[in-house]
Amino acid sequence: MPTLTIDGRTVEVAAGTNLIEAGLKVGVQIPHYCYHPRLSVVGQCRMCMVEIEGMGKLQAACSTQVMKDGMVVRTNSTSADEAQRAIMEFLLINHPLDCPICDQAGECGLQDYSYKHGQSFSRFRFDEKRTYPEKERIPLGPTVMLNMNRCIQCTRCVRFTEEIAKTSELGFFERGAHAEIGTFPGKPLDNPLSTCVVDICPVGALTSTRFRFAERVWYLDKKPSICTGCDAGCNITLEHKAGSIKRYKPRQNPEVNDFWMCDYGRSTHERYRDLPRLAFPQIRRNQALQATGWKEAIDHLAHNLRSRRTEGAIAFLGSGFLSTEEAFLLTKLATAVDSPHRSIWVDSGPTRHIPNLQGGITGHDAAPNRRGAELAGLIPAPGALASEDLLLEGAAAQCGALFVADSDFGRAANDAKVVERLREARFLAVMGWADTLLARAADVILPVATHAERAGTFVNSAGRIQRFERAFPAPPQVRPAVEVLADLLSRFDTKWSTVTPATVFDLMAEEVGAFSGLRYREIAAEGTRLSGLSDGRPPAATDSAAARPAGPGT
Amino acid sequence: MTGERVLMRNVGRPEARTVRGYREGGGYDALAKALRLQPEEVIEEVKRSGLRGRGGAGFPCGSKWSFVPRQSPKPKYIVCNADESEPGTFKDRLLMEHDPHQLIEGCIIAGWAVGANTTYIYIRGEYTKATRILEDAVRDAYDSGILGSNVMSSGFRHDIIVHRGAGAYICGEETGMLESLEGKRGQPRVKPPFPALVGAFGCPTVINNVETLCCATHILLRGADWFKAIGTDERNTGPKLYAISGHVERPGTYEYPLGVTFQQLLDGCGGMYRGRELKAFIPGGASAPIMLAADREIRMDFDTLAKAGSMLGSAAVIVMDETTCMVRAISRLARFFAHESCGQCTPCREGTHWMEILLHRIESGHGSEADLDLLARVVPNVGGISLCALGDAAQGPVRSLVQKFGDEIRANIRAGRYPMPLQRHFDQGAAA
Repeated sequence: MPTLTIDGRTVEVAAGTNLIEAGLKVGVQIPHYCYHPRLSVVGQCRMCMVEIEGMGKLQAACSTQVMKDGMVVRTNSTSADEAQRAIMEFLLINHPLDCPICDQAGECGLQDYSYKHGQSFSRFRFDEKRTYPEKERIPLGPTVMLNMNRCIQCTRCVRFTEEIAKTSELGFFERGAHAEIGTFPGKPLDNPLSTCVVDICPVGALTSTRFRFAERVWYLDKKPSICTGCDAGCNITLEHKAGSIKRYKPRQNPEVNDFWMCDYGRSTHERYRDLPRLAFPQIRRNQALQATGWKEAIDHLAHNLRSRRTEGAIAFLGSGFLSTEEAFLLTKLATAVDSPHRSIWVDSGPTRHIPNLQGGITGHDAAPNRRGAELAGLIPAPGALASEDLLLEGAAAQCGALFVADSDFGRAANDAKVVERLREARFLAVMGWADTLLARAADVILPVATHAERAGTFVNSAGRIQRFERAFPAPPQVRPAVEVLADLLSRFDTKWSTVTPATVFDLMAEEVGAFSGLRYREIAAEGTRLSGLSDGRPPAATDSAAARPAGPGT
Repeated sequence: MTGERVLMRNVGRPEARTVRGYREGGGYDALAKALRLQPEEVIEEVKRSGLRGRGGAGFPCGSKWSFVPRQSPKPKYIVCNADESEPGTFKDRLLMEHDPHQLIEGCIIAGWAVGANTTYIYIRGEYTKATRILEDAVRDAYDSGILGSNVMSSGFRHDIIVHRGAGAYICGEETGMLESLEGKRGQPRVKPPFPALVGAFGCPTVINNVETLCCATHILLRGADWFKAIGTDERNTGPKLYAISGHVERPGTYEYPLGVTFQQLLDGCGGMYRGRELKAFIPGGASAPIMLAADREIRMDFDTLAKAGSMLGSAAVIVMDETTCMVRAISRLARFFAHESCGQCTPCREGTHWMEILLHRIESGHGSEADLDLLARVVPNVGGISLCALGDAAQGPVRSLVQKFGDEIRANIRAGRYPMPLQRHFDQGAAA
């Protein structure tokens, strides 16, 4: 492997590595706009000019590959610095400088590099800048808005649609100072990954219709999380202000979603805003649901789980939205009341494909954690009541008590017919965050934290276990499901009094083969591939997505 | 006209546009000779001749041919750059309109030398007449067994496809041309990889100017030593076409040995228009820095002009007399480059535009001295760091304007008027 020196720091890199990547290895950031590690190198912005010993002219770092030993690169020599200043000046002379009303402000490449490479005055003394009249607000498609005046023609977006999305909706039109990006007539930018062009746009030319004017980015708190839109398990940064989620952005994980995520995934936080929330525990008394305290609600549920055994089966119905730890505790609860009736319901979603360097990751379910829940034990034993029996066949009538551990497990939760079928159980308990038709039919309601308000793990479609963190606390009367389930379990077995996702996971790892040897805190940042699992479908559900019964209410 | 006409031997012989007429003048003998040689020997002969590219950059032609890998799993291509669109340049048009077979012969020789079975002639879209003549000649060559699956019964296959451009200067840049040829937006590629390894359709490709390929024909026919004997020295060899325009009595394309002085060129075309005084000249097409009247004895070859801070380029000589407003002349060129910039790289896209509006402001009498200083500071930033040579080309004439005519412009700016009155020289000439 060749060795080179960048700004006096020596580094060994694989032959063919470009200078921007080589610099990053030793902490030298070479400014750039058009370069993106996953897009073809075009050398257009000319911001990354560096001096290389023995070469007469400055070279673009992005298009210079390290091929042999001994290259000496200076990113901050006088000539390189002058070139970078010149490019900053060129980029800004015609830029509108409308930062106060620009969504990108605060995370803008022009702003960032202006501090380091720019100057505080303008030599461009003309009354009018070059503008693109009538092109300040061009909807390129349903998700992306273009302001051509802010564009710096780096063509990252064009290359994204050509090389990553492979849909080629965007093109580079006109020439010279009038060069512009846009769509072809009658072909809007509407591919499933379209909002990624907003992420990779280094300036405010492309903004997300979903996020436009929603919040100044410096007011956002950012937490690493996992998208719950499907079981691809895209890594995201959850950005919120005081508990109100403003957007999801992809968080790079080369093993999963790389730099990308789909538009649907980005929209999934809107459910927390749009759906009514369960705010406090409730118990049905005299046909009506009444607010109550947590202790009373859990005692009431524990009592019914115990006493209703004589009236019929005690069934437990989870969903693919449960974290692996929650699913494990639900399994434990079923064991505590000697019930074999434990299963999950997962809507099958449209197939969602996110490209990465290994070819991509595909999600099939409309929930993030079918595999984790099944590995944790939510699989009906032969002959036991399965979720299909309960939701589709009316098997709930045989139940003395039915505990649905997710008030929003899919379309069925708001399907009157399904809810009616589940209501056939003598006693119906619902735990969850959303105030659905199903929750309102329950005898006891346990409000729990949303995805953003709790921590845990999901196992994605490729068998990779990934951790997500709590972004902000749950409302006062709402508790994380892990706590609630442990509380409930403690009514049967005192060892369960206080738990955290970490302790539950570590216990589970001792019992469940698929997780053996793992510890919660040791799950890698990019997730850990569970060994011994087949890629794609989980072992318990060998039938294809098409063979599974379609969800009710479809 | 001094000396023998080599490249222009068939100018004025309309019959040379047919294979039969061309052969009568000794045509296709060079190809026959080349086909009897090994490809390596052909390359060696061209290398020895010292032939440098006639398109503008002056890269040694033999070396360029030898960069193409001998063994290649992919097909190889010759692309003839006939997208002659530098302002002032019209030499290739003459060659294609009067002697299309000379070019076809050169293309096949190049193909034989590097092992390419296909030549694309990328011809400027506006050259409709040249296209028609070239296409007729290609058809004739196919019918006569010069092109096709068995070139002159040698077993070598060679096809020529004439491809018309759509009127963009940037498509004359070799990688911009390849993009355009592939049906994409014509904008230069980042190099490396160089076209010799990854060129047209991702395959090894040689890109040569029309005149270069025509020269190759004569090198094969008459030998490298004959070619080397013409010209200034061993780095500047062979016959050269000079396209002379501007304030001269008889503008046109003239053939001279490489390295003729500017004064000889001027004399050859009848001297200055109406006997006026020479003010300045551009020696090598719009992108070459301006030379002053005092430089009139300079040798018009690659190295001498480079040493003098200008360039031979495409040898398009633009002559300007005392009545010329330099600001307007260069402003017009700046407008050309701003218009033709493809817009992908920052310094060229923004810089050519900035230069254009600055010069326009000075030209229209609203400039200030600060504008001139600014021009001096901004212009160098446009060249050197752009993606392709267009940025460098655009700043050449403007930089020389500021350097060489700074006082003239400053005086006019101070007087707050239009630098020089508009003169309708040619109207006056016609009336006289």
